[in-house]
Amino acid sequence: MGRMRVRRIDSEVDVNARAIGLLVGLLLAGGTPAVAHHSFAAEYDGTKPVKVSGVVTKVEWTNPHIWFFVDVKDDQGRVTNWGFSAGPPGVLQRRGIPRNAMKAGDVVVVEGFRARDGSNNASGGRVTFSDGRSVFTASSEDKAPR
Amino acid sequence: MRPQTLASIAAAALIMTVTVVSFPSGQAASQAPAKIPRLADGKPDFSGMWDTPKVPGGRGGATTFDRASMAPFRPGGEALFYEPRTGDPRKDEPRAFCMPSGFPSAFLGPYPIQLIQTPQHLVMTTEFMNVTRIIPLDGRPHKTDIEPTFYGEPIGRWEGDTLVIDARNYKRWSLDDWYYQNPKEYRMHSEEFHTIERLRRVDMDTISYDFTVDDPKIFTKPWTVSWEMKRHPEWEKTGLYEMVCNENNRCAGGECTKDTK
Repeated sequence: MGRMRVRRIDSEVDVNARAIGLLVGLLLAGGTPAVAHHSFAAEYDGTKPVKVSGVVTKVEWTNPHIWFFVDVKDDQGRVTNWGFSAGPPGVLQRRGIPRNAMKAGDVVVVEGFRARDGSNNASGGRVTFSDGRSVFTASSEDKAPR
Repeated sequence: MRPQTLASIAAAALIMTVTVVSFPSGQAASQAPAKIPRLADGKPDFSGMWDTPKVPGGRGGATTFDRASMAPFRPGGEALFYEPRTGDPRKDEPRAFCMPSGFPSAFLGPYPIQLIQTPQHLVMTTEFMNVTRIIPLDGRPHKTDIEPTFYGEPIGRWEGDTLVIDARNYKRWSLDDWYYQNPKEYRMHSEEFHTIERLRRVDMDTISYDFTVDDPKIFTKPWTVSWEMKRHPEWEKTGLYEMVCNENNRCAGGECTKDTK
């Protein structure tokens, strides 16, 4: 497991990063560290950020946290399916993110933090679509990607 | 007399009754409380959708109980409070495996709380795991010799316009969510945990909420945190969403490679 090689992110996404950072900042300003049902710190490693781009293969719009899965191709053309955990459906809906915001086939960039067990799972804090739209999908207690 | 007329008279009579109860004779006009909703019996009505309790302008959730605002530990209290973890996630954080959060932890997270009040009860529901407290308001005595529970036995009584909720009969369990802020410190309360909540509707959009922790096995004396709850009428449109922890609890406790659903 361990070593991860992912395709470089398109530069246009990086240009958007500042605006996205502002959005995340605004969202966090209103929130306070709180519990969903899990411990971000116990389950994900805040020192291991992950940023991948790929194609959404599945979205599980379920409690206690939504999960979405992304096929990521590395430089050698090998495909790895990553699982990302995000906020609870109710919290996301109140934030204005509906269940159809992300669909299988969407090309996305996901930023988050890796699971502590080293598997290809991570918290998925921020999702940016190919048209530049960005949604902050993390629970309010999760560490935000910067 | 037409039914509508009868209804109007009844409504007017009700309003007069409420008005009389709301402003008892002898109360100076300058001390009249802000206009707040009241039940027909004159008691303040807390019903509505509310944000989770927070220290005004600041701390909520995992950081709402500041160590500095707690009373000193009694001998041996600190070891009970910060119970060492074992390294086994199922034992160390059972809440990550959908076990109950307990009170007050379940009501501190980033989920709306709905309050529904009748003359007999206050019902307090949080979207988080759809936990409901049904609180009788008649000041009845606490039960004796019952099994302690995760959410305790809350009993309400009125002190003027302040609703005082006194809860006992808790089992030893997590106190709050501080662990999510600092995974090296897991805070527990003892089975002698006793909580006193004092709720006052300050205005249309605010509940002043003093929360007292009395745990004589851990602390030398009770200590209190002053919270506020803010009303969110825009959440009434959808109400509380269903929240079922067991539905798809992947990666519980960080065990992504095991089937922990």
